[in-house]
This record gives sequence, C-alpha cells and structure tokens, in this order.
Amino acid sequence: MRASDLQSSFPMVGRDTTAVQAARIIAAQDLAGLVIADRAGAPSAVISAVDVLGLMVPGYVVDDMSLAGVLDENAAEEVWDKAGQHTIGDLLDDDGVRKYELVRVDADDTILEVAARMADARAQIALVNGPLGSPAQFVTLPVLMDSIVTFCAPADAAHADA
Amino acid sequence: MSIQVILALAVFVGAYILIATEKVPRVTVALVAAALMIIIGATDERGIFFSQDSGIDWNVIFLLLGMMIIVGILQQSGVFEFLAIWAAKRAKGRPFVIMVMLVVITAVLSAFLDNVTTVLLIAPVTLLICDRLNVSPVPFLIAEVMASNIGGAATLIGDPPNIIIASRAGLTFNDFIVNMVPIIAILLVVFIGLCWLMFRKQLSFDPTMVARVMALNERETIRDKILLIKSLGVLVLVVTGFILHSVIHLEPAIVALLGAGLLVLITRLENRKIFADVEWQTLLFFAGLFIMVGGLVSLGVIEAVGQAAIEAVGDNFFAAAAGLLLGSAIFSGIIDNIPYVATLAPLVNDLVQAGGPAAEPLWWALALGSDLGGNATAVGASANVVVLGIAMRNGHPISFWTFTKYGLIVTAVTVTLCLPYLWLRYFAGG
Repeated sequence: MRASDLQSSFPMVGRDTTAVQAARIIAAQDLAGLVIADRAGAPSAVISAVDVLGLMVPGYVVDDMSLAGVLDENAAEEVWDKAGQHTIGDLLDDDGVRKYELVRVDADDTILEVAARMADARAQIALVNGPLGSPAQFVTLPVLMDSIVTFCAPADAAHADA
Repeated sequence: MSIQVILALAVFVGAYILIATEKVPRVTVALVAAALMIIIGATDERGIFFSQDSGIDWNVIFLLLGMMIIVGILQQSGVFEFLAIWAAKRAKGRPFVIMVMLVVITAVLSAFLDNVTTVLLIAPVTLLICDRLNVSPVPFLIAEVMASNIGGAATLIGDPPNIIIASRAGLTFNDFIVNMVPIIAILLVVFIGLCWLMFRKQLSFDPTMVARVMALNERETIRDKILLIKSLGVLVLVVTGFILHSVIHLEPAIVALLGAGLLVLITRLENRKIFADVEWQTLLFFAGLFIMVGGLVSLGVIEAVGQAAIEAVGDNFFAAAAGLLLGSAIFSGIIDNIPYVATLAPLVNDLVQAGGPAAEPLWWALALGSDLGGNATAVGASANVVVLGIAMRNGHPISFWTFTKYGLIVTAVTVTLCLPYLWLRYFAGG
C-alpha cells in the first residue's frame, strides 16, 4: 500500500478565514487541525484545532485564566461575538502559536515511509506531492493509523493465539 | 595601558553594545563576556566565587531567587486580579478613577514584587476592565507600567538595581524606606496629575457601560483561599524580616530564602508550580554581569576611573549627585539599567568611600536616576517591553514612539523633581 492509496482531500482555510468559520469546519468534520493555504491557494502550513480555539478566547483570559470566571453568561456571549472578528491571519502572525510545517510525501511512498515522516515531524497530516495544478491531496493521521492497524491485526491475532 | 586592560575594555564595551542593541540574548552576551574575561586573565575562580569586590554578588542572586519563588506562589492565589476588579467596581466604572486606583495598586505592588511580574499580573485584568468599559486600554497600560517603574524604586526589593545598590553599599530595607519612600510618594501624586493631563481626552465615560463592570465577579479570581492566606502570611513575615534587619542580623537574601523555603514547605505544591516563575536566565545574566564587571575591578580599571571621578568631584557632592541622577536617567532610558548599575555601583562605592557620609546621597541619586530613567523609552525597562508585547497580542499595539512621547515627559518631570529633593534632604543643611 502506498501514500496514493491513503490520500484524500482535506479542507483548507486562508488568512482571511475568521475564527468562527474555521471552528465550524473543525466541528462539522471532527478535525484535529486545519491546513492553511498561502495567498496563491497552495497548502503551506498546519495549525492545530486547539490554536483555533485559543483564537476565539480573549487574549487576556489566555494570559490570566482566573479572569475567565469573573465574566457572567451575558458577557461571555459578547466574547464569542467578538471572536468572529479574529482571522486565521492573526493566528499566523502570533509568534506564540506554533505553525507546523507541512510534511510532504511522494505518492509512491510506502506506509512506513509516510509514518516515519509524520512521526518525526509530529504531524497529524501530510501533503501528497502531485502533478502541478492538481487539487491538493493529504494523508491524515486517523487514515494512516487505520491502515497500520489493518496490517498489524493478523500479527496481533497470531501473537494472542500463541 | 596593558594589552590585558585593552582587551577587557573591548569585551566590556562590545558586551554593552550587544546588550543595548538586543541582537543577541542578553544572558548569552553576559556569559560569553564573562568567559572572555576569564580567558583574558582578568579574573579567576577565586575572584568569581569568593571575592566581595569582584565576584558574583550572591546576596543579589539569592535575594532574587527567593523573591521569585515567593511571588510565583503568591500570584497563583489570584489576589492581584481580585484587587484590580474590586477597585474598578469601587470606582463605579469611571475611567480616570479606575486609572488612578490601578496606578496606585501597581505602584504599591511594584514596591514588593519585581516590575515585570507586577505588569504581567495587572495588564490582563486591565484589558478585561477596558473591554467591559469599551475604552482603549492603551493609556491604562502605559500609566501602569510607568507606575510600576516609579513604585519599584521605593524599596530594596522593588527593582533589581536597588538590590545591587543595597548589596554593594550595605544599605538596609529600612534605609530605602526612609530615603526613597518620601520622594516616590510625591512622584506618584505628581504622576497621577500627569496622567490626567496626558490621557484625559482618551478616557471618555459612558454611563451605559458601568453595569458591565459592576457585573464582574471578583470573588471568582480567588482560586485557593488557603494558598492566599499562607502566601500572604509568608510575604508579611519576609517583609518584617527585612525591616527587622538590625535586630535579627539576617541579610535580605537569607530572609527571602527562608521565606521561600517556608512557603514551599507549607503549601506543598508540585515543583513545576513552585519554580514556574523563577527566571533562571535572569539569574545567569546577573552572574555573567558580575563576572564581567568584576574583571574590570580586578584589573584596576574601575579604581582608576573612580580616582578620576574623585578628583573631578572634589567635595561638590551635590553636583556629583545631580550628574549621577541625570546621567543615570539618560543611560537607563537607552540601555538596560541592570548592567548600568552593576558597572556604576563599584565606581560610586569608590566615591562614597573617599567622600565619607557627605557622599552617601550618591547612592540615592544612582537609584533614582536608574529606576526612573526606565520610563523614558519603550525599551528603557523590561516591564515596558513586556507590556508592549501584551498590548500587541491583544490587538492594541503601542508603538515605540507612542510610549516614548509620554515616557520622556514623565521621566523629565520625575527626575527633575528628584533634584530639589536631593538638595533639600541631603545638601541644603551643609
């Protein structure tokens, strides 16, 4: 099995995507992160869903978590309204947020090669290099793990029998 | 001048330039400069570890370490956030009254905590209050960091330069209270007046926003009442220990370490929380600085400059104090006041040794100039840089020049007011 057998499309967001839009995508598809497209629309980096969550919480609450409790429900609603003003661009400009470099694998890489690259980079997603102009395809961690488990299953069963 | 002295001076000047330009982390600069001083032969292990004149000032290092541990634990109690919100509610949402209360709270806290810790505690809650009031937090943040630099000058533990001065001059906590608190109290009142003049147009009052401030529940900030009681109790004990120095004969560093040890013992927090706020890099920076300046002391450079200064000053100590005050304010506005005071302290010590009691006010001139000078520019003090970073992260950027235009006014007024204080307090009678 090769990387090309595991690849699929993956939602991408740009600098102008608001935190709320990004959160909707994450929530709807149960994602652990998002791929960021550069100004040309090509995938360039990965951010985690937790960082998108951080974008929705006021900075002063992130800096001092004891302040979260002093706001009542009405105030909290205003906070969520304001969260819509922040964009993924704000996140990319924040030095305190870790932007993961996009791991790239070739379409004919084996699962072991893909697993090694993703484990080394601690990446949840890898871009599969494809022909110029073709839609971006990715290997995600759950799909990769599923394939590994499928391969490992017979060995596990044999081990259990022994 | 020997090759060794020329090389040591080159290392010293090069390190100063690198620290001032911030191209390389200051701790790296100080440690590399210290290593070069050893390679040059300007100092050795005996000089570094055991010499009171040219070695690492362990009193300074351990006093900082002890206070960092105590403050790190105390701040987890949420008491500072409680105070700030309580004050905003007592002010009934009126922006200038809130600013005055936050300025006073910040200045008083800064007298007992280091300035960076103080602004790290007060800035987020200020952003919250301003968010509720729908006013710009920029004037508040600028006023607070300046209040922190002014208030920090009041005590021995309020600002690192004071710790260095106290250790080198043998001054006690009470000496600082007696000599610095009166002028700092005056400066704080004047500073509040300056805030009115500088910021009043930016502090519009919208009565419809008051309810949003009054709805804040400050009690939620107190996460652990037992921790609050224990840590405040230990802080009171430590300050009492500082005040009773002449009775118990314990150096401030020992008092702070005993307090930190007691707090660790009674709170039983995990190590990660106990040492979370210990700035190891700052402690190493201090150690490197002491070795670097110690190299110049060992080679007799400081003594030679001190001798020249003694001859230049003669017995006109007010002129020397005025020059030291103004020069320190200017230097501290441009470069970090810690290396500045680490270098000047042995020099002033020579002057005071030669001049006797009449020259002792030079220490206060050095402390006032270096502490207050930090307000002059956006990079004049570490706390300024920290607040600018917090403001930027929260979408309220404060440019270098925005800060500096207010900073220059505040520094000019506060430093100028110190001149008549020094004259009336120490020289008018003689």
